[in-house]
Amino acid sequence: MNLHKLASRLRPTVTQKFRHFHIQGSGQQLEAVVGETSSAEPSLLSVFRTSEQDPACHSERHTGQYYTIPPAHIQKLFPHGLPPRFQLQVKTFNEGCVMVRPPALELISYLKRVDYSKPPLRYILYGDTGSGKTLSLCHALHYCYTQGWLILHIPDAHLWVKNCKELLPSSSRPSRFDQPIQASQWLKNFKITNERFLSKVQLDRYVWTKRESTEEGRPLGELVDQGVNRMKSSSDVVGAVLRELRLQAGGATDGEGAFKLAVAVDGVNALWGKTTLKKEDKTMCEPEELTLIHNLRKMMKNDWSGGAILTALSQTGSLFKPRSAYLPNELLGEEGFDNMEPFVPVSVPNYSEKEFESCYLYYLDRNWLQHPHSRSEEGKKELIFLSNKNPSILERLCAFL
Amino acid sequence: MAASVRYLLKPWTPSLCFVRWSRYNPYYLDPDPSKDAVPESELSPEQKELQELKTVRPIKAALSSDTSSPFNDPLMSKFINMMMEDGNKILARGIMTQTLETIKRRQVEKYHKSPAAKREEVECNPYAIFHQALENCKPIIGLASVQKGGKFYQVPVPLTDNRRRFLAMKWLITECRDNKHRRTHMYEKLSQELLAAFANEGNVVKRKQDLHKMAEANRAYAHYRWW
Repeated sequence: MNLHKLASRLRPTVTQKFRHFHIQGSGQQLEAVVGETSSAEPSLLSVFRTSEQDPACHSERHTGQYYTIPPAHIQKLFPHGLPPRFQLQVKTFNEGCVMVRPPALELISYLKRVDYSKPPLRYILYGDTGSGKTLSLCHALHYCYTQGWLILHIPDAHLWVKNCKELLPSSSRPSRFDQPIQASQWLKNFKITNERFLSKVQLDRYVWTKRESTEEGRPLGELVDQGVNRMKSSSDVVGAVLRELRLQAGGATDGEGAFKLAVAVDGVNALWGKTTLKKEDKTMCEPEELTLIHNLRKMMKNDWSGGAILTALSQTGSLFKPRSAYLPNELLGEEGFDNMEPFVPVSVPNYSEKEFESCYLYYLDRNWLQHPHSRSEEGKKELIFLSNKNPSILERLCAFL
Repeated sequence: MAASVRYLLKPWTPSLCFVRWSRYNPYYLDPDPSKDAVPESELSPEQKELQELKTVRPIKAALSSDTSSPFNDPLMSKFINMMMEDGNKILARGIMTQTLETIKRRQVEKYHKSPAAKREEVECNPYAIFHQALENCKPIIGLASVQKGGKFYQVPVPLTDNRRRFLAMKWLITECRDNKHRRTHMYEKLSQELLAAFANEGNVVKRKQDLHKMAEANRAYAHYRWW
């Protein structure tokens, strides 16, 4: 989006032109922008939407503005990746809008400039609870998807270390445990996200049982189908898929074989924490003994090349960690920190003044703030006071107002 | 008269000391937590009298659930208190906020999916829906059991405002607790009932209408009422 278009938007007489841009940008939605936008008083001059839909073109000019993710992308890229409350919001507002914020822009700028023949850099998004780490990760993932990378997205690693109904002893190794339900669920979602990469050729021969094995040179799609259909060996299939992608990411030369791999793990502190799963003799399971976690840990090491590892910490789902802990040192623990080091930390703060303003106007536009007092100036000050400009608390407050 | 009233105002400390005593001398006025101050000139004579009374008379202690913010709604507080069990106000308030959220989500979704012509008719404000639904559930006339000549008759009787409000809320809550599927959450059941009552459908409005029909049928006994 070039500069003089933005300058013309900021002129106070041009609220009509702004509406025109917005409707052009979000092509499929036919809703007329309700009269509230004319109440985005000319004195405020804050424009909360941008028509720039491509994450690659987002820059500091767009901070605080909402961009729409096309519905086709949401269905493909995030079958399981978005936080549940955000999914509800997408369903209610009939559109998926994400705010462009500095941490995500920072991540995307790093991803643009890195040399992909070297081992991958590890990025950790950290911040207070509800400050927007998961959504910033999703924004960066959307960028990777539009650039044609292969996405490996684990929406919440904490779900793999707790509340597991079926914990089977591993079919391949004696001291490990399998989680067939979680593994096959993840493989199904992986298939939806990466349809076009499923015809990649794989290298090694894998033997699943006495009668089943996957030969050399079969496409990746078959391996994934094998995991989805045969629940017993699905955790091992996940391990095999991870290994194949690791070997192939930087390996092939430029041409049709090359692809870049984005490994995105939310709640990465689960990999090195404790589990609440018990073995049959009622002793606690270590995360090391779970096949899925073991393979994921191998993925976190930077001994491969041709991609990036994007992670976010999370205290909300974590086990045995205090509520006030949010720094990488506290949440990852000693072992996790040593394994993840060296990494690039990206801090995700609460909303700034401008971002809060933008969020408030967005809710007004979507007809979400219904209480007459919340639409007044004192109401806005009350909202700032009650939420401390924390995105998730603000969202929960505005939900019933 | 003033002397007897003054006697009641003497500081009487009971042997058991309660933290918050809900039985006050009627001399005490209710607190008004709102911040809006209407300027002197706009007040009618009765309101001016009330203002002067407030400077003279003692005022009851404010409840800890009332705030000075305009977000505070006395009807909502009453409903939350009626829903509360074992003094668990946090849970009752949580259920109420979830109900409001569910109602708003459904209406806003409907709003965004409907064509521009129909959008004006969709009411998205959960507070407006709650108030209107409660109005639609209030009975106008009630029945009282009066004994005459050894038999009890159901006599149609006018109801006070408080009694009508109480009956509407009670019917809503009991309907949601008893007559719905066991595995649904309270906020889902409440939001369904409220939206139905807003449209003058649903079991609670039916119950109100049955009461009206009974009162109409028992019209002949109306003169048994002596008050």
